[in-house]
Amino acid sequence: MKDARPIIETVGLVKQFGGRRQLLSRSPVVHAVNDVSLRVRDGETFAIVGESGCGKSTLGRLLIRLLDPTGGDVIYKGRNLASLSATEMRRLRRELQIVFQDPFASLNPRMSVADIVGEPIWLHETAGKKERREKVLDIFRTVGLRPDMADRFPHEFSGGQRQRIGIARALAGEPKLILGDEPVSALDVSIQAQIVNLLEELKERLDLTLIIVAHDLAVIRHMSDRVAVMYLGEVVELAETDDLFETPLHPYSQALLDAIPVPSPRARSAQAPVRGDVPSPTNPPKACRFHTRCPHAQPICSEVRPVLERADEGGRQVACHFWREIQAAGSSARAPIAASANFETRLALYRARQSGGAAPLKQP
Amino acid sequence: MSGMESDPVLALSDFSLRFAPGKNLVDGVGFEVRAGETLCIVGESGCGKSVTALALMGLLPVPPADIVSGTALFEGRDLFRLSEAELSDLRGNRISMIFQEPMTSLNPAFTVGDQLTETVRRHRRLPAAEASAVALDMLKKVRIPAPEKRMTDYPHQMSGGMRQRVMIAMALANAPKLLIADEPTTALDVTIQAQILQLIAQLQEETGTAVIMITHDLGVVAEVADHVAVMYAGHVVEAGPVEAIFDDPQHPYTIGLMGAMPSLGRRSGKLATIRGTVPPIERMPDACRFMPRCPFAQNKCAEAVPPLAPVGDGVHRAACWYAPLEKHFAEVA
Ligand SMILES: Nc1ncnc2c1ncn2[C@@H]1O[C@H](COP(=O)(O)OP(=O)(O)O)[C@@H](O)[C@H]1O
Ligand SMILES: Nc1ncnc2c1ncn2[C@@H]1O[C@H](COP(=O)(O)OP(=O)(O)O)[C@@H](O)[C@H]1O
Ligand code: SF4
Ligand code: SF4
Ligand SMILES: [Mg+2]
Ligand SMILES: [Mg+2]
Repeated sequence: MKDARPIIETVGLVKQFGGRRQLLSRSPVVHAVNDVSLRVRDGETFAIVGESGCGKSTLGRLLIRLLDPTGGDVIYKGRNLASLSATEMRRLRRELQIVFQDPFASLNPRMSVADIVGEPIWLHETAGKKERREKVLDIFRTVGLRPDMADRFPHEFSGGQRQRIGIARALAGEPKLILGDEPVSALDVSIQAQIVNLLEELKERLDLTLIIVAHDLAVIRHMSDRVAVMYLGEVVELAETDDLFETPLHPYSQALLDAIPVPSPRARSAQAPVRGDVPSPTNPPKACRFHTRCPHAQPICSEVRPVLERADEGGRQVACHFWREIQAAGSSARAPIAASANFETRLALYRARQSGGAAPLKQP
Repeated sequence: MSGMESDPVLALSDFSLRFAPGKNLVDGVGFEVRAGETLCIVGESGCGKSVTALALMGLLPVPPADIVSGTALFEGRDLFRLSEAELSDLRGNRISMIFQEPMTSLNPAFTVGDQLTETVRRHRRLPAAEASAVALDMLKKVRIPAPEKRMTDYPHQMSGGMRQRVMIAMALANAPKLLIADEPTTALDVTIQAQILQLIAQLQEETGTAVIMITHDLGVVAEVADHVAVMYAGHVVEAGPVEAIFDDPQHPYTIGLMGAMPSLGRRSGKLATIRGTVPPIERMPDACRFMPRCPFAQNKCAEAVPPLAPVGDGVHRAACWYAPLEKHFAEVA
């Protein structure tokens, strides 16, 4: 069993954007995150999923204090982040790092990657030049980059290598927790697999907690221990990964899972996909925010907000008035289709050959 | 295979393309698609999917593009031998294309209704009122809510999913024989992707349009394809019916790609990876282009290009000297 002690806990977290006075009016208020209370356990991989615009990135940034909340609290290792002094917060900064979808979008193209990766070390330590260089090269090796490439510039690297540099930069602060905001979304599948494996190795080796924000549910299933499903700024279900994927309880979780194209032509979805788009977060639907798209909606759903309630003896939670009835009526995820024997055999050969040695060429 | 099958709507053969003297970026590519069928072209970014599609549409500026070889038979004519006037007569009419980003084909300055009406009028000599009625009908067909109201909307007033519906409406307004869809759902959420894929399938069933769907997502392939062509670095490395590709993948690249995809079932160990990256075209190997990344590579792989040769029943083909792999490599203990 994992240590259930939370590394981060939030209480009634709210974030709104806009609402500023303009010339004659006010800009509309975006209700990006609304009343979110959750705990991230020390050492786990915690995922946040949902359609774009649902507030995943905003919630992630609130958790590591890259954004200040409009309301509510973030408690990190038992200390309320709002109560910390600027100096204390600066020291904490290095423990809470972020890896972006495209790490270079915001970086100086004229800095060498060694300087980019070394910047946090330089900011936080009074290390000498030589020491710093040693450390940077060490991190390069850790993330699988050749140290002799350290003096090159960002544009000389491929997408996968750039993501390794983004990860290296996060590691330079010696973090306790890394937030990956769509860390592999921009990468091709084969490169994506390399980065997913790297993040997992680092997590084990360095005892990290990972928070992964992603819209690719297959990546989430593979990587994470628990998942928070977000819809329009609210957490509608929070569950262990296997439980969520095998028996999603919330109608929105079910809709999301049904929509994933299953990589087997025998498992084609017969179901009609969930209707409509996500409504605007400037004017979210009242009560249950999902009621405008929910196939199970009843009058009460647009009148009373369902609270996130316990759904089992473990920590599973769901926010729906009718989850018991819906579950009793029998709705579960599509059963995964087993891979073919031919594929399994050849993939085993592929892995064996790639790791070197095994599966030699037969003599004719 | 059999005489039962209809003639292909499009038959591309031996298509090679380059942008500069030297190696062909796309090299000897061929595929066919029949009425009512969906052919998926799958492969990672840069393998030449979009340039192939654009060349078929006559939308690739020549030069800089240089079509080194190839024929693309469509309704008895070779698309590569048509004049610009003949091509523009076909485009949006007999052949349509939709893109990942709808804004590349929608004009931000005109309403959705005006653009649809214009598409209809360009190819059919209809009075304005009738063309506008066809346009409205198309918006209904692609299930846009409140279509009358949406006719007067500008593209930027719509969500990504709605814009993609408008583009599908424009592409299908003149009942084309062939629709080329280049990553039409890549920028969309899975929920909206499911809606769009279902919409295309439903419209295809009504009209019998042949569809070439370009994607990098094997999940999408499994969901929509009848036939599949797997591309790697400008070559088709494996092709066949969708069941054959998934049940009996033969090419090491196809196997690596499938192994790299996280499954939706319970976790079963680390993901497979494909080591390294695609080399730049100047450093592309002369024989098997996958060789530098292939765990099975042998000397022979550097000497001659493996042909796209039949495996199994003959419709399924793979371009690897060592297919099927278990016949040539000892089982793992
Ligand atoms: N800095 C900002 N200013 C105004 N609105 C914002 C800002 N950041 C995010 N939003 C809005 O908040 C909502 C949630 O955004 P985000 O957290 O990025 O969602 P996600 O990551 O799930 O796609 C969106 O409607 C977005 O437009
Ligand atoms: N106009 C062009 N000039 C030179 N190279 C190009 C041009 N268009 C595309 N390419 C190159 O052709 C290759 C194939 O591109 P593309 O067909 O867009 O790949 P895909 O759609 O499979 O991701 C890429 O390496 C790209 O850089
Ligand atoms: S509360 Fe009502 S509308 Fe909301 S998810 Fe449950 S059934 Fe659907
Ligand atoms: S021909 Fe050789 S290098 Fe190419 S895929 Fe087959 S085994 Fe690998
Ligand atoms: Mg985001
Ligand atoms: Mg492309």
